[in-house]
Amino acid sequence: MIWQLDLLFFVILVVLALLALRVRNLMAAVAILATFSLMVAVMFGAMAAVDVAFVEAVLGAGLTGILFIILIRDTGERAAELESKRPVILLLPLIAVFVGLMVFASSGLPDRGDPDAPAHTHVSPDYIEGALVDSRTPNVVTAVLADYRSIDTLGEVIVIFTAGLAVLLVIRTMPGREPDPAPGRLDGEGDVT
Amino acid sequence: MISEYPGQVVRIICVLLAPLIMMFGIYVVAHGHYGPGGGFAGGIVIGVGVILLRITVAPEVSHKWFPAVIGPAAGCVGVLGFIAIGGLSVVSGEAYLDYAAVEWFGGDAADRRYLGILLVEIAVGLAVAGVMLSLFDSLAEIQGPDETIPEADGYVEVPLGSSEGIRDGEEAR
Repeated sequence: MIWQLDLLFFVILVVLALLALRVRNLMAAVAILATFSLMVAVMFGAMAAVDVAFVEAVLGAGLTGILFIILIRDTGERAAELESKRPVILLLPLIAVFVGLMVFASSGLPDRGDPDAPAHTHVSPDYIEGALVDSRTPNVVTAVLADYRSIDTLGEVIVIFTAGLAVLLVIRTMPGREPDPAPGRLDGEGDVT
Repeated sequence: MISEYPGQVVRIICVLLAPLIMMFGIYVVAHGHYGPGGGFAGGIVIGVGVILLRITVAPEVSHKWFPAVIGPAAGCVGVLGFIAIGGLSVVSGEAYLDYAAVEWFGGDAADRRYLGILLVEIAVGLAVAGVMLSLFDSLAEIQGPDETIPEADGYVEVPLGSSEGIRDGEEAR
């Protein structure tokens, strides 16, 4: 990937992130967040990680925005003003130290696409060479996700399902909802008066 | 609840688009062996197709086509299906999720793993689509603590898709 393009994308990402924090209209903030996700997806695509880019575009730029907007419908479009105006200058050294640590740590990482990187020398050569022979699957990512590492995928699916179920149960039993006609409900039985 | 979108053009276009979006999601799930995507991305696209109907068409219609129970049901079927597919190889006496051991699939070891991957992708797609739809459904049925949202310094807020908003739109037309 061309490094100038890389730099441009990073600048756009930082600007979008700052904008999303500063803007007071929440709808605009959601739109900026979706744009951020789209930019990240483009970067993933440019790094040849097409599967991740696809999921990021669909989930980050698409569905997350819808869920946010559905919630904003109930809470109002305007962000509340911050009550305490802490001096930002006090935070700047902290941010500088953190960014410095990140830059220092990233200088020890292997280069992107380095064939000698630890991640590329352990089991991934076997996966890359074996996917087509073992399972007739040209897309190595699918073979890794659904075959070689299928237990990880099972765990992920169970996590997603459990999280969705938890949201469902929390919202169904939230106080202030009109009572469920079904008998034997758990919510708000003691605090009616 | 989200009532139907006031504009007829938008409604019709979305009703035409939704099946195509869902079909693309099924394509992404089924084509995971060869192209980008697979169960996760395809499942989300399928779920988004249903959600598009939920936010444009009248709730009675969209809930008639895709009842609210479909979300949790598809999620359960997907997760349990994944677990069951993994158990098939245990029945054959091999490790969990080792599709090559399932003789019932037929063909040689690579064919069985190919089929196993496809089945698992379908299960993941069902689970993700179901969870996303039930997430949306549960969030969409929240009622705010006070339905009449107060005006903040002259800024009139009309909640998206509320019945007042629709009525205003119809009067304006």
